[in-house]
Amino acid sequence: MLRIENLAKRYDTTRADAFAVRDVSIEVAEGEFFTLLGPSGCGKTTTLRSVAGLEMPDAGEIAIAGQTVFSAARGIVVPVARRDIAMVFQSYAIWPHMTVAENVRFPLEAMGVRGAEAVKRVAHALEMVGLAAFRDRPAPLLSGGQQQRVALARAVVKQAKILLLDEPLSNLDARLREQMRVELRDLQRRIGTTAIYVTHDQEEAMALSDRVAVMRDGVVVELAPPRDLYLQPRSIFAARFVGQADLFPCTVILRQDDLVRLRTPLGDLSSKRPVPIEGGPLSLLIRPEHVAFAAPDATGLNILEGTIRRVIFSGRLVEYGVDLVGGATLRVQGTSATLRDEGEVARLYLPPERCVIVQGSPDSDA
Amino acid sequence: MRPGETSARSAAILRAAPSLLLGALLVYLVVVPLFFLGLSSLRPTGFPFDPGWTFDNFRAVYGAPGFGRLIGDTIVFAGGSIAIALTLGTLLAWLVERTDLPGAGFVRALVILPMATPPLLMAIGWAMLLSPRSGALNVWAREWFGLSAAPFNAYSLGAMIFVQGLALTSTAFLFLAPAFRNMDPSLEEAALTSGASTRMLFQRVLIPLLRPAVLAAGVFLLIVGFVVFEIPGTLGMPARIFVLSSQLFYLASEAPGGMPLYGQVGALATLFLLLLLGLGVVYRHFTREASRYRTVTGKGFRPRRMRLGAWRWPALGVVGGYFLLAVIMPVGMLVWMSLMPYQARPSWANLALVTLENHRDFLDTPRVLEAMANTLLVAVVSATAVAILATLISWTTVRLRAPGSAVLDALAFLPIAIPGVMMGVALIYVYLTLDPIIAIYGTVWILIIAYTTDYLSFGTRAAGGVMVQLHPELEEAGRTSGASGFMVLRRITLPLLLPAIAAIWIWVLAHAMRELSTALMLQGRDNQVVTTLLWDYWQGGEPTRAAAVGVWLVVALLLALALWQILARRRERLM
Repeated sequence: MLRIENLAKRYDTTRADAFAVRDVSIEVAEGEFFTLLGPSGCGKTTTLRSVAGLEMPDAGEIAIAGQTVFSAARGIVVPVARRDIAMVFQSYAIWPHMTVAENVRFPLEAMGVRGAEAVKRVAHALEMVGLAAFRDRPAPLLSGGQQQRVALARAVVKQAKILLLDEPLSNLDARLREQMRVELRDLQRRIGTTAIYVTHDQEEAMALSDRVAVMRDGVVVELAPPRDLYLQPRSIFAARFVGQADLFPCTVILRQDDLVRLRTPLGDLSSKRPVPIEGGPLSLLIRPEHVAFAAPDATGLNILEGTIRRVIFSGRLVEYGVDLVGGATLRVQGTSATLRDEGEVARLYLPPERCVIVQGSPDSDA
Repeated sequence: MRPGETSARSAAILRAAPSLLLGALLVYLVVVPLFFLGLSSLRPTGFPFDPGWTFDNFRAVYGAPGFGRLIGDTIVFAGGSIAIALTLGTLLAWLVERTDLPGAGFVRALVILPMATPPLLMAIGWAMLLSPRSGALNVWAREWFGLSAAPFNAYSLGAMIFVQGLALTSTAFLFLAPAFRNMDPSLEEAALTSGASTRMLFQRVLIPLLRPAVLAAGVFLLIVGFVVFEIPGTLGMPARIFVLSSQLFYLASEAPGGMPLYGQVGALATLFLLLLLGLGVVYRHFTREASRYRTVTGKGFRPRRMRLGAWRWPALGVVGGYFLLAVIMPVGMLVWMSLMPYQARPSWANLALVTLENHRDFLDTPRVLEAMANTLLVAVVSATAVAILATLISWTTVRLRAPGSAVLDALAFLPIAIPGVMMGVALIYVYLTLDPIIAIYGTVWILIIAYTTDYLSFGTRAAGGVMVQLHPELEEAGRTSGASGFMVLRRITLPLLLPAIAAIWIWVLAHAMRELSTALMLQGRDNQVVTTLLWDYWQGGEPTRAAAVGVWLVVALLLALALWQILARRRERLM
């Protein structure tokens, strides 16, 4: 449905290294919910705006539903208005001089859809976002969440092949954001459109997407479904960006069937995960919620001993900082079901299937 | 290439087209007249395309025995009047925006009163009050205190500074009030919670934060102070006190030989232009600095207001005194004089003389009606032209960020540094030279061109400011909705900008209606306007008729400016 090939864009043409997007190639299937995730300045918004035609890239090719809309080599630039896309903006961009219905009807007018057909489609779009009762309200009298819904209705009314969303939830408060997240996903499923979503919020990306592309400094660092990205990241950067992560340098000392023996600052540990084949330094990734508290007398594989030095109680979850006997510190996440105190001695268990081996050294950040 | 595809090259050409077209127009409006002016200063006859080259004009101007005094008087006049305007304007802006002054909102609305009183009328009003022979205040002072000589003299450098200072105060206020109003109170609160005393708050936080805005206003006023003609022309010329602008007028229209000394005008204008361009650069530097300091973080905060306590009465006295001196006394004097058969001072006895003769006369003289029609035509057409051009220019520079935007911006800013008299003379050169091709010399159209150029800098700055506030995603949402560039402009950009554009339109309308110096320079057989008529009456010894014209001009300006304020407020609500 969407094909991006070797896309590049400079933000400063006078400097050789001033790339907003360096070399991005992505292919998105029909009906897929695809997310570009990354910190600010990573090039995710530039990529999205290039697809919309709001930015003019310097190199590469973009095709929407088989039609090439941009090609630097062949000198093709299809104007924004003729691209089969609809977009939701971070600021919502609801036109303040129009009512809700006028806002939603605008794309239909632009396409030449008039009369009963237009009325029906506007009503349908407003119904889908739950704003049917607000159709004649002037836009400035809407709350943030309502404006967000109008922006969505205005995008879906166009029935475009691709729906582009530029951090649409980032201006909402936390509670509303979670609610809209669910609604957005349901809506996309119902209308079956292809969605390209830009966000810097990794939880949002995980919850919404079929696949996530993690971007950094204008390049796609990693591209995978949310589960793989979280449980088996292939880079230190992605491992840290998508969730809490403790990383330790490690070396492989023994391989036995599907079990790998690792030497780490925590001691020797066993992992059931694959070893990256590229060579070079390796790191052990441990996520705090994967560490379990073991029985006080437990011994054996992947059992570590330490003292609880820090307790952060945040209601549903409790985070502990545990100083291990070997000197290293490990973060452990528990729930409020069992509470432990500072100074308590604890035994920890690291399940071998959650001891992930990642390419790169923990200090390299690459 | 399939239909619907555009090549990258034609897109690039399309991007440069607006700046090229607008740039060419601006070069014609701004650069060509100045070039002709410079050329004429080097010609023996003073006409840009006559043969021969000479420096005589420069020698005549800069070697003249009175030149040192001319420069001295100009500096004292401009410096003195901006000192008054800046002090009063800052004080008023602070009282209205940052203290609990009773009726602050009312005072803010009243600021259109001094704006509706053109400097020419203020000068005439004060001349009627302070003229040594017949000025009302002098007559009273003599009667009540038994003085033998008049204590005040309207025709002096001191009076010029006093009246010009009052005239510029509303400009200073309009400049500074937003800076005072938009300052984020959390900056002050941060200082106070850091333990700062009131004195420290002022010295270390408030004054440094406001300094760029105040300096920018100061430099802007200095430019205006050098450029203005009305007050030096009315109060200075009768006593042979000249500043640069009135000297230009004198050389171009009333020189001893009877022939205009255009070559010398050009030579003097060169100095003027360099000085003002220098100030223009400084001004832009300070406004950039000021915008860097702008700390507006969105709506919804209320600035901290200082409690005046017992000081509120002196504060109200300052505000009342300003309106008394800037509006009530001069305009009151004009109203009184317009009702008198001859220049009779206000008194109970003279109340018996009241007559509507001047007003009736004003309404059925063909010459007056023609001047009114010309004024309206000139004002409406140039206001429309400025509104359209300013919108297009700021759209190109702010939104399209087309190549060459910086040049376009600078060209549109340039006219602010061109005095009305100089613009008049320069256009005389241009359209006398072009006469067979563009025969507009002596018509209203040459005035329209002059005003369009003059007010373009205001219009472009105002439109640019609004364009910056308009979130680009509002327009982008239109484009991703599938609308063409034209449809986005018509359905989204223009409706959102309309209140602001209307406000620019009315501002230019009001200023074109009250402008005197350019109109005076370009005065011909067919293009007399209300202000030149007023000037003729006043200079021709018919003060009561001049007063009647002035009263109606104030009424018209008041209506236009009230509308301007309503529109400006509507725009604030929409944004």
